[in-house]
Amino acid sequence: MTRSQRIATDVFASLRAHTQRTFLMMLGVAVGVAVLSAAIVIGQGTERRIMDLVAKHGLDMLMVRAGGEVQVFAPQADRGLAVLVEADARAIEAEIPGVRLVSAVQNQRDVTVVYEDRSATTRAFGVEPNWMDIRHRDTAEGAFLSERDMDAMARVVMLGAKVARALFPEGGAVGRTVRIGNDPFTVKGVMIEMGVNAGGDDWDDRIVVPFATSSRRMFNRPYLEQIVIQVSDVGAMLETAERVRNLLRVRHAIAPGEQDDFFVRGAEDLENASLETSSTLFALSMAVAIIALLAGGLMIMNLMLAAVSQRAHEIGLRRAMGARSSDIQRQFLLESLLVALGGGVLGVTAGVAVALGLAAAGVASSQITWVPFAVALGSCALIGLLFGLHPAGKAARLEPATTLRQTAA
Amino acid sequence: MMIEVEGLTKSYRKGSAVTEVLKGVSFQAARGEFVAVMGRSGSGKSTLLNILGLLDRPDGGRYRLDGADFSTADDDALSAARNRKIGFVFQQFHLLERASALRNVMLPLLYCDDESDAGATRAEQALASVGLSHRAHHLPGELSGGEQQRVAIARALINSPALILADEPTGNLDAQAGKEILDIFRRLIAEGRTIVLITHDTGVASCADRTLVLDAGCIVPSSPAGAGVSRAPGSGGRA
Repeated sequence: MTRSQRIATDVFASLRAHTQRTFLMMLGVAVGVAVLSAAIVIGQGTERRIMDLVAKHGLDMLMVRAGGEVQVFAPQADRGLAVLVEADARAIEAEIPGVRLVSAVQNQRDVTVVYEDRSATTRAFGVEPNWMDIRHRDTAEGAFLSERDMDAMARVVMLGAKVARALFPEGGAVGRTVRIGNDPFTVKGVMIEMGVNAGGDDWDDRIVVPFATSSRRMFNRPYLEQIVIQVSDVGAMLETAERVRNLLRVRHAIAPGEQDDFFVRGAEDLENASLETSSTLFALSMAVAIIALLAGGLMIMNLMLAAVSQRAHEIGLRRAMGARSSDIQRQFLLESLLVALGGGVLGVTAGVAVALGLAAAGVASSQITWVPFAVALGSCALIGLLFGLHPAGKAARLEPATTLRQTAA
Repeated sequence: MMIEVEGLTKSYRKGSAVTEVLKGVSFQAARGEFVAVMGRSGSGKSTLLNILGLLDRPDGGRYRLDGADFSTADDDALSAARNRKIGFVFQQFHLLERASALRNVMLPLLYCDDESDAGATRAEQALASVGLSHRAHHLPGELSGGEQQRVAIARALINSPALILADEPTGNLDAQAGKEILDIFRRLIAEGRTIVLITHDTGVASCADRTLVLDAGCIVPSSPAGAGVSRAPGSGGRA
C-alpha cells in the first residue's frame, strides 16, 4: 500500500471508531443536502407536470387562420379565402426563431366517404406529417401520414373515430379502400376518440389526408385555411406570435395601418404568471437549500476546528511518529471529505424520501432522476473540501513540541 | 557518536516576554549509552528532549544525530528521520483510545516510506518482545498502566530506531510496573540502542550509565565539561 492508501485506511478506521463524533459532523451536512435533494426532486416533478399540462391543453400551439378578426367568429362557414399559402408555412418554419414544428392545414366540409353500401358525410382535412405532434393527438389503429405519402400525393386517409365506426362498425378499417368523391383511398389509420372541443368542433367526425393530396387532387386549390405552429418556448409565446404576424404582413404586402388578412391565435388565456411563479418558487427553494448546505459546511468547519484543538495531543503524537505536516493535512481533509459525503448520502436519502412522501400526499409533484444524487454528492464533496481546508491547515501547522510539552512534568 | 550537542540555545516568546529556556547546552552520547536527564521543572529538560527528537529547532548551536546535521533540514526530512531513527516514549503513554494495541503499535508504519505489507507481522513481533502478544486486540482502556506503557514501547521499537527518547516513562506507573519498564530499557541497551531518558526519580536515574543535570537552561558541571555527572545517589536535582 502506498503512503496515501495507508493514511486513507487509517482515516476510515478512525471515523468508524469515533461513531458519535463522526455522526454529529455528518448531521450538519445531511440537513442541507436533504433540503437540496427534496427541492430538486419536487422542482423536476413540477416542471414535468407543467410540460404535461402544456401539451395536454395545446398551450404550446399557435394557429394562423386565413381571414382577419371578423371571420374568426364564424366557425361554421368555410373561409375559402385565398390568402394563406404553403410558402407562408415554409417561411414561418425557416425564419421565425422559437418555432419547433409547422403544418399547413386545408379543410372542407360536406365531403362524402363511401365504403361498400355505407357512407358518411364529414369534414376533410389536408395536413402535413407534423400535424399529429403539434396537435398532441394519437392514432388508435394503423399509422399516421408520412413524408412519403406527401411526396407521392398518395391517396391515403386517416379516419376520425366516429367516421370509422359509421363505415366499419365491426372494425378492421385499416387497409380497406374507401371512395372519396370518385377516387379510391386506402385507410391508413384510425384516430383516437377525442370528443368535441370548446369551439364546438367534433374531432371524431373528420377525415385527414396528406396536404399534397388535398390541395392537388381533392380540393384543387393551393390556399390554406390554417397554419398550425408548435413553439419551443411557451414563455415566449407572445413574442413568437408577434414575429409570425409581422412576417405574414410583409409576405402579404399589407401596408402599415391596414388590417391583417389573417389572424394569429395563441393560448392567450395561458397563465404565464403561473409558469413564472413555479419557477420562482423553485429558485427560492434552491436558494434555501444552498444556504442550508453552506450552514452545514460551516458546522463541519467549526466542529473540525474544535476537534483539531481537542486532538492536539494526537496530532503531536503522529508528528513524533514521523508524520509530515502534509500527512496531517491530508488526514484531516480526508476526514472532512468523508464526513461530508456520508452526510450527503444520509441527506439525499432523507430528502428524496420527504419529496416522495409529499408527492404521495398530493402536496407536490416529484420526479426521481440521477440529478439530485449527482448534485447532492458533488456539492457535498465540494463543501467537505472547502470547509475542511481551514481546520486541516490549522492541524498541519500545529507545532508538535507545543502540544507534547503540555504533558511534561 | 549517536548524539553530539554543542551550545544549544532556545527561547520562547509570549507577547513581549522572552523566556530563555536553554542557554548553551553541550554534551555527547555514544551508541549504546543510557543517559538520564534530571532537573527541576522549568529547567529545560523537555525542551532539550524535543530538540533531540527533531520536534523542535534550536535557536542556536549545533545538533548532530547519528552523524547527520538536521539544522537546515525541511519538514519532510525531519519527519522521515523521526520515523526511522527515533522512538518516543511519553509519561502519558499517548495511545489512540479507540484503536487496539496492535493498531497503536502499527502507527509509525503509516508514515514509513517502505511499502512492504509486513506491518502487522512486525507489530506482533514488537508486542511479543514486550510480553503482550495476548493483549494485541485490547483497547488501551482495557490495559493497566504498565501494559499501556509497554504497548507504547513496542510502538517506539517497530521501526528499529537507533535512539529511544523517553520523557518520564515511569512517572505514571507503580513501582512494580516501573521496574518492568526499566528491565525492558536495559534489554534495549544490551541490543545496542541509545536511550536518553528524562526523570525526576533518582532510582531510575541510577540505572543509567550517566546523568545530566539541567538547571536554568544549563548543564550543571561537576566534572570535566561535557561528561555530565556520574551516578551519585541523592545528588540528583541539586547543583
